[in-house]
Amino acid sequence: MKVAGDVVRWLARTLAIVLLVIVGSTVLVRFAPGYLSDAREMDSRYGDAVRAELSVEAARSGTLTHLLSAELQGWMRGDGGVSREYGVPVSELIVPRLAVTGELTLRAIVMAWSLALLASLFSSAARRPSLLWQAPAALLLAVPTAALATLCLLAGKGGPVLVMALLLSARDFKFLHYALRKAWSDPHLLQARAQGVKAHRLVLGFILPSIRPQLSALASLSIVTALSALVPVEVIFNVPGLGQLAWNAALNRDLPVLLSATIIMALAVTLAGLASDHPGEWRSA
Amino acid sequence: MRSKFAANCLLAALALAAIIVVAMPGASYSHQDRESTFASASKAHPAGTDALGRDRLVRVSAALLLSLTGAAAASALTTAAAAGVGVVAAFGPESIGWIAILTCDVFLAPPWMFLLMIVRSALPLSASPMSSAVVTFVVLAALGWPACARAVHKGALNLKTSDWMLHAQAAGLRPTQLVRTAVPNLLPVLLPQFLISIPAFVIAEANLGAIGLGIGEPLPSWGGMLLELDNSAMLFETRWVYFPIALLIIVLLLLEAVAMEA
Repeated sequence: MKVAGDVVRWLARTLAIVLLVIVGSTVLVRFAPGYLSDAREMDSRYGDAVRAELSVEAARSGTLTHLLSAELQGWMRGDGGVSREYGVPVSELIVPRLAVTGELTLRAIVMAWSLALLASLFSSAARRPSLLWQAPAALLLAVPTAALATLCLLAGKGGPVLVMALLLSARDFKFLHYALRKAWSDPHLLQARAQGVKAHRLVLGFILPSIRPQLSALASLSIVTALSALVPVEVIFNVPGLGQLAWNAALNRDLPVLLSATIIMALAVTLAGLASDHPGEWRSA
Repeated sequence: MRSKFAANCLLAALALAAIIVVAMPGASYSHQDRESTFASASKAHPAGTDALGRDRLVRVSAALLLSLTGAAAASALTTAAAAGVGVVAAFGPESIGWIAILTCDVFLAPPWMFLLMIVRSALPLSASPMSSAVVTFVVLAALGWPACARAVHKGALNLKTSDWMLHAQAAGLRPTQLVRTAVPNLLPVLLPQFLISIPAFVIAEANLGAIGLGIGEPLPSWGGMLLELDNSAMLFETRWVYFPIALLIIVLLLLEAVAMEA
């Protein structure tokens, strides 16, 4: 009963957050200083009268209530509204790209976790933190995603998955290293090591179970970090995913597409929080 | 502690060198020397020139100063906003605290990059480079406070339930007096948040600029200079195009070292 109550409360909170994201993003867009500007205003082929007409039309269709109702109606219909740039339902643009982005994110997260877990197991088992593991992680944390992607592209080595995996693994390593180091210094583990219990048995039997709560929190953090890195990676490597679509929409002021992409990302981040919010309750349910 | 001091000294030295370069007579980040585009290092241009013949050393120095100043100012704004929200959420009525934390969650739900793109895409087409720079850092500050506010809220809640605070409440201190007493004790939380936000904002500006949504030309920025690397013809002309990226990584390593020690 308690679990059911928790689930309902969690769902209500998620729904409220997503609705507030829709309202907040729309307000943000509507009151941004250049919302009423139109790229056609810069086109010398249009005369003053046409430009004035464009401004009047933009002001008429740009009221906050109009925008909000159009956005919500689009989501109720299930198509997310109509793209200003392409004139097709937003869902037609987003759905095929979701698969590309999902695959890229999943592959990057799996690779990052494998790298980070392996590196942190070696580094945490050592007596002192070694520069061999710490230095590359510190360096990767200091490289902007776009810079790493550009360098990989120029060097002709590595692709979008590798770039995202390297960035994620550096962040994951930082957390895993501290969690594992703390776990290794627990008195019962010191005792077990002194008695000669094999390291792999300790890792599988004691260490990993003891850091499970941190791992679930780290899983949601990985998803958030991966989604943030998506845009530069997809743009630079020309991956036809959701990040590239959102970037293209931003450049062309295609706000229905940009808003829908943002809402999907918000939903993904909120759902990712599920793992770290109530792992105990979900397991026992 | 020693590494923090060394990192601080190196950062100060870099900033000082950048100020000297920018303030040198004749130095201009926007002056185009059309006779020497794609130039390698020379006496006139110690780090070469870009595709428009602009001096790369002056541009990198200006970008360094702009990014450090902008990121520090944005970080100060973020920390101040987070302190306000975190303290009000912890010491105010429960309903206010609930609303404040829900607001933080709403801001934290969509990834930063998407919110930044929404705001940047809605800037006027005729926005000047300086206003694009100001807007970029203001937007970073406006979107960066929720994570920081959650940390401050947790610190403030710990303070609120501490023995000495309960004693102060029992002794009859008014809520405003309690807050005034609590805020200085939150400095150990606020200072790291301020220092952590600076490299985060520098990275965000570079990423945004690299996809063409950052600070407008001709104002130099890290992101703008990353875009230069797209011009592969230039890479065959001179390896100096990698200079901005190398300096950016050094600056970020130093900023991270300062933040880690805090």
